[in-house]
Amino acid sequence: MALSGRFRSALVIGGQGIRARKLRTLLSMLSLFLGVLAVVTVQAGLEIANRALLADVELNRGKDGTTILYVPPSAQTVPVVLETVRDVPGAVAVIQASAVIGEPGVSPLYCELDGSCQPGGGGRGFEGPKSLDGAQPPPGQAIAVQLNGLSGDIRQFRPFQADAGQWLDFSGPPSLSPSIVLNRSAAKAFTQNRVPAELQINSGAQHPTPRFTGVVHDAGYGPFAYVRADELLNWLPASELANQNGPGVMVLLAPSARGVEQTLRARLTGQGVSADQFFTETVNSREHYVDQLNLLRLIFFGMAGLVLLIGVAGILNVGLATVGERVEEFALRRAVGMPRLLLAGIVLAETLIIGLLTALAAIGVGIVGLNLASEVLGSREAMLRDVTFPWQAGVAGVIAGLAAGVLGGLIPAIRAARIPIATVMRA
Amino acid sequence: MTPLIELSGISKTLKGQGAPRNVLSGLDLTLHSGQSVAILGRSGSGKSTLLSLIGLFDRPDEGRYLFCGKDISRISERRAARLRSDEFGFVFQRFFLLKQLTAAQNVAMALVNGQGWLSRRKRRARIMAALDQVGIAHLAKHRPSRLSGGEQQRVAIARALVRAPRVLLADEPTGALDTETGNLVVDALHASTARGCGLILVTHDHDHAERMGTVLRLGEGKLHQAGPRVRA
Repeated sequence: MALSGRFRSALVIGGQGIRARKLRTLLSMLSLFLGVLAVVTVQAGLEIANRALLADVELNRGKDGTTILYVPPSAQTVPVVLETVRDVPGAVAVIQASAVIGEPGVSPLYCELDGSCQPGGGGRGFEGPKSLDGAQPPPGQAIAVQLNGLSGDIRQFRPFQADAGQWLDFSGPPSLSPSIVLNRSAAKAFTQNRVPAELQINSGAQHPTPRFTGVVHDAGYGPFAYVRADELLNWLPASELANQNGPGVMVLLAPSARGVEQTLRARLTGQGVSADQFFTETVNSREHYVDQLNLLRLIFFGMAGLVLLIGVAGILNVGLATVGERVEEFALRRAVGMPRLLLAGIVLAETLIIGLLTALAAIGVGIVGLNLASEVLGSREAMLRDVTFPWQAGVAGVIAGLAAGVLGGLIPAIRAARIPIATVMRA
Repeated sequence: MTPLIELSGISKTLKGQGAPRNVLSGLDLTLHSGQSVAILGRSGSGKSTLLSLIGLFDRPDEGRYLFCGKDISRISERRAARLRSDEFGFVFQRFFLLKQLTAAQNVAMALVNGQGWLSRRKRRARIMAALDQVGIAHLAKHRPSRLSGGEQQRVAIARALVRAPRVLLADEPTGALDTETGNLVVDALHASTARGCGLILVTHDHDHAERMGTVLRLGEGKLHQAGPRVRA
């Protein structure tokens, strides 16, 4: 109760002090504003950069905690893998095959991330289908892509951003005309080069007509296409599955589905696949990037801290001047029974309120600034597109404001508490 | 009956930039409930020092200070603050009203001092009662700049009375006022003794001093009964 009374007294009197010296309060806030804004900006920038970095890594590799099991290609591998992960939540098999969409029997175009394409495999693209006689076929209207046959919705691991159309529908029976979802890079290539709708998978002789149903952003480094695994297998010859250079297989497992790994290993070993041919990797991107981000954080916060220190000096200066001006008031308050500690508390309450108000102002400016930056620069900078103000930056701003309030108010508070009461007798 | 205040053998030496000065030397004083005491003395005789010792602003170098029979000569600052809040009221020559606050808010200073907490309704009732006691309840919302000197001093008295203290200490409260206004202020102070409050009035004004029950003169560090007033 006594503490509550003192706390309330400090807030009431601190509030009165601030109202009575509005201009001085404003000047204190101005001196602190840049410092707190610097902290808010640094924290917001780092959080946004962190999110953008991790978001791209998540799109490309998978969420942290995802286990990726690479399975060697063999005739038995694909059916066993698909059989094992079927209807298991948190487990998706990916069958990777080279494919060409367009004119059959020609050298396809190999496309870059920006959609620029060149013939002859000079790019970073994937191996296109080989001609049956081994001779280099003539260049033609076709584009090489990496085809990913999915046994389920991969977006639980890699949260692709939908750019257009629909994602794959895994609920119905497989179609003989495979539904294909392209990534941005592939979509760009198909926008810039008109090719016939004919799909050739590895060296398969059958050429189904694909249906493009959507475009996603997968942070992939080349043209990728996603298709249902069962629709892919309809057109992938059995000889391709047995080929050592045939489709690669990997299984993505959520932490809740780690048990599937043991089952899969056991079943594949039973099929004659050697245990040392498996390769397992767990995605842990945050830990990988945390060191780099911490170094950046240290550098930027060091700079923001210096600016904040100038603000603290401003509050300290104004605080000392205010205490000097209010000597009689403080002596009188002590004379009417106010304890020294509470007197110090009043001065601290004032600087804390100033720090808090400044923090709120800086956070407000930060939110408005970020929204503006997102609107103006969002079209050019993907990192700023649809970005929201990170709560961590708000917390950092409030902490910086309060810390500056304490640092700037401490010495004036101690001085106020030491004012002798007899001052009022001698006045 | 136990006196409110009993000082015996109080000594105080002030140590400033110059040589130490022995201001009070073996001083004795007794104040009972409802008693009013005027203290006269030349400037520098130690009147304000005595008041600051009684009001627990400072501690005596020697001697014993009993408050309601309890020795508080070496009381801690925390307990002293509590006693100042609960048992003492102070009125100074300068009114020390905060210009940004209304009369009522200035009176509230003595209630919002960290020694307990009253609800807004109770606080307001006590403030208005204190202002009413000194006859200026109608000026509660006025700021000091809109009040006359006498009204300001009465606000200061209301501030001293609002916690219903047992002892009222007034240090030349009429020093900055004209005679007529000074009389009104002394009336307001003296009225508190009717409710059992002990009053110590330090003054240079003989007329005001003579209205107190006891008139003492401070000289050579001790209190003496004041002699008959010599008129020119």
